Amino acid sequence: MLPDKKKRIGVFFCHCGKNIAGGLNIEALIESSKQIQEVSYVVDNKFSCSEDGQVDIQKAIQEQKLDRIVVVACSPSLHLMTFQRCGEKAGIEPQFVDLIDIRKWTMHGSPQKIAPEKALEKSKKLIELAVKRMRLKRLIPMAEIKTEQSALVIGGGVAGLEAGLDLADKGYKVHIVERLPTIGGKMALLYKVFPTNDCAPCILAPKTAYANIHPNITLLTNSEVKSMGGYIGSFHVKIVQNPRYIEADKCTGCGECVEKCPVKVKDDVFSAGMGQRKAVYIPYDQAIPKKAVIDAQNCLYFRKGVCRLCEKQCPTNAINFGQKPKTVEIKVGAIIVATGFDEYNPTEKSEYGYGRYNNVITQFQLARLLDIDGPTKGQLLRPSDGKEPKRIVMIQCVGSRDVSTNPYCSNICCMYALKHAQIIKEMVLPEAEIYICFIDMRTVGKGFEEYYSRTREIGINFIRARPSEVIQDTETKDLSLKVEDPEIGRLLKLEAGLVVLSCATIPSSGTEQLSKTLGIKLDKDGFFKEMHPKLRPVETNVRGIYICGSDQGPKDIPNAIVQAKAAASCADTELRKNKIKLPQFIVNASKLKKGGR
Amino acid sequence: MEKEENNGEYIELAELDPDFKSEVMKHEDAKGLNACFACGTCTAGCPIHEIFPEYDPRKLAKMVKLGMREEVLTSPYIWYCTTCHNCEQHCPQNVKFFNILNVLKNMAAKKGYAPNAWVEQTKQIIKTGLVFTTDEALFKKRRSFSLPDLKLDGSKVKKIIKLTGIDKIKAQIKG
Ligand SMILES: Cc1cc2nc3c(=O)[nH]c(=O)nc-3n(C[C@H](O)[C@H](O)[C@H](O)COP(=O)(O)OP(=O)(O)OC[C@H]3O[C@@H](n4cnc5c(N)ncnc54)[C@H](O)[C@@H]3O)c2cc1C
Ligand code: SF4
Ligand code: SF4
Repeated sequence: MLPDKKKRIGVFFCHCGKNIAGGLNIEALIESSKQIQEVSYVVDNKFSCSEDGQVDIQKAIQEQKLDRIVVVACSPSLHLMTFQRCGEKAGIEPQFVDLIDIRKWTMHGSPQKIAPEKALEKSKKLIELAVKRMRLKRLIPMAEIKTEQSALVIGGGVAGLEAGLDLADKGYKVHIVERLPTIGGKMALLYKVFPTNDCAPCILAPKTAYANIHPNITLLTNSEVKSMGGYIGSFHVKIVQNPRYIEADKCTGCGECVEKCPVKVKDDVFSAGMGQRKAVYIPYDQAIPKKAVIDAQNCLYFRKGVCRLCEKQCPTNAINFGQKPKTVEIKVGAIIVATGFDEYNPTEKSEYGYGRYNNVITQFQLARLLDIDGPTKGQLLRPSDGKEPKRIVMIQCVGSRDVSTNPYCSNICCMYALKHAQIIKEMVLPEAEIYICFIDMRTVGKGFEEYYSRTREIGINFIRARPSEVIQDTETKDLSLKVEDPEIGRLLKLEAGLVVLSCATIPSSGTEQLSKTLGIKLDKDGFFKEMHPKLRPVETNVRGIYICGSDQGPKDIPNAIVQAKAAASCADTELRKNKIKLPQFIVNASKLKKGGR
Repeated sequence: MEKEENNGEYIELAELDPDFKSEVMKHEDAKGLNACFACGTCTAGCPIHEIFPEYDPRKLAKMVKLGMREEVLTSPYIWYCTTCHNCEQHCPQNVKFFNILNVLKNMAAKKGYAPNAWVEQTKQIIKTGLVFTTDEALFKKRRSFSLPDLKLDGSKVKKIIKLTGIDKIKAQIKG
């Protein structure tokens, strides 16, 4: 502990050009600051963060023999590090450098801007408090800890896989936790992907296959994170591995059990409700790991104690009805969260009839129907009677840009509607007429505008309007809707065999729980919140935990990949230090807490 | 530059009244107008638009925003609304077009643009407190169906009219 000698505190005012000086009397603040106890030097400069500004601060520290400083300028999340580094160069311990934000009260356009007199009054108080805090502050002892050379990735979609593979290739041990029985996420189920329309599973396979055999990667499928404790460099994580009721090391994925199983149920996850699977199943052909899994909720043995046909059939005796959930405990240096998204369930937008009318489906369901390896082998047949629809109407922004559901734009729906229209027109039902009702067409990525042009060129109809409701003919199950085409100023009545809703992208179920488990924040829409929307897009409020992909906000695959690589790079930047300094109390508290949050 | 002749081919900004929008939006009920992104959901669901395409909520919203005061307030169609609230129910931006329409109707009425039938009915409500009046012929008919006589009492409504000053507005109705 420091002896209680008199402190020499310096207060530095930044004008931030006109941002601060334009909305506040700095002279008056300088005068009042000089009166505060143990303040021995007060000065202002135009831009404290500029090279000149920093040199001035360093000179003052040395000439005035200052031992603590308070910089009165802008947000600590932006510049505290700048001034700590600046002070450290002149010999001040970083903990004794503080930055307080008064700019938010003075800057043009700031949502918190207030009148100059008010700003002056509030600034005075804030400065007094900051100086007092500096005067009384004791040095917090720091501990040096070793960073585990390993990482945990939560979510095995394309984003999680990319981040995991990057880290594994850099030499870290990586655990990928996926709650479904297979990795791959939504991308594996998309059939084709814009803007090039290549086969989604084909371009995903290099990643899933590599993750499966990478010597540095451990895949934990059917698993979820239960608790987390510790700090960057040393997170303790408990993972629950739910039973497959199949011994993974024995199962060869031959599918004999599936063949024999008498129970058929709707496949809500991998066919989006458009097809069926057995009670014992392999998610799809390219599933990784390609191992069967028993769905205990529907299995006859678990429900009624009978059957066990799969057990008799299995050539390698892999079935094990006695499997129990297993807890795995790991210690990792960093965590990357890539839990992706869910498609919004449009039942609550009852005017469009989803859930009431069989021939109203979602775009994700359409993606499954179009997939030649999907539940209908690529045939586009309407659910009510298995007939080919002659006219298809797509409705954009269902549950997006809608203040009664989700106010934000879901980013990808314009593009996937164009994609599905192209696929139907060019590959599935060339005779079908397709109408897309939209509010704004957003095609801003590289090559996306050309994609839109091509969709118009092949004869897809676009109507810049949103229908008010969908009505079903009770006999034919045909649908009809009216839209006002603003280009001609007339109401159009569209009769359709199939209506497809382009539904919002929402955070995946369980996101809120995970945010509590990990102690990371959510934004107002329920996605994980980044540290700074522009400058720190993949860091979170917990150092060492990063986010990427569509759990941070709706996005397409190219952007999910960019974020995944960024997250891996951030984790690497910290882990490669091998040792980092953390406040001793954090290390202590975490020891006491043992077992985590 | 010589002034180009304009015989209604285009709208000149100088003809528009930018205060119109702010005047409308001063009313609590019309605060949502700026959020409108012209998706046309209101128009698509409007039963009146179907019969009278000239009555178009999406267009009216834009006309108010542009400041087309006279066109909007003198339009006979704003009085055709059936008050079904469809536009309000399905609007993704919570614009509440139905309420904006009420603001417009009030402004039009004050200017004396309310149609005759509407004025007559208003007069009657102010006088009797009743939307429909009854007479002996009606009672006779009811009795023939063994229905009891109606006791219609408009006094409470009349009280409300006095308290809210609706009858004062009447003074400005020229119709
Ligand atoms: C109909 C449709 C069509 C699309 N078409 C295209 C296209 O053509 N081109 C394009 O670029 N993009 C397209 N997209 C977007 C694309 O699907 C996403 O960009 C991509 O899937 C994002 O990947 P992700 O890894 O972030 O999320 P996801 O694919 O959702 O993967 C997340 C993974 O995390 C797992 N998970 C979730 N929660 C947990 C948890 N708590 N614990 C463990 N695991 C968890 C999930 O099971 C899942 O496997 C489309 C989207 C839709 C809906
Ligand atoms: S025991 Fe269960 S999973 Fe196996 S075949 Fe019977 S129903 Fe299917
Ligand atoms: S529904 Fe709402 S947002 Fe859409 S045009 Fe009508 S008022 Fe505007």
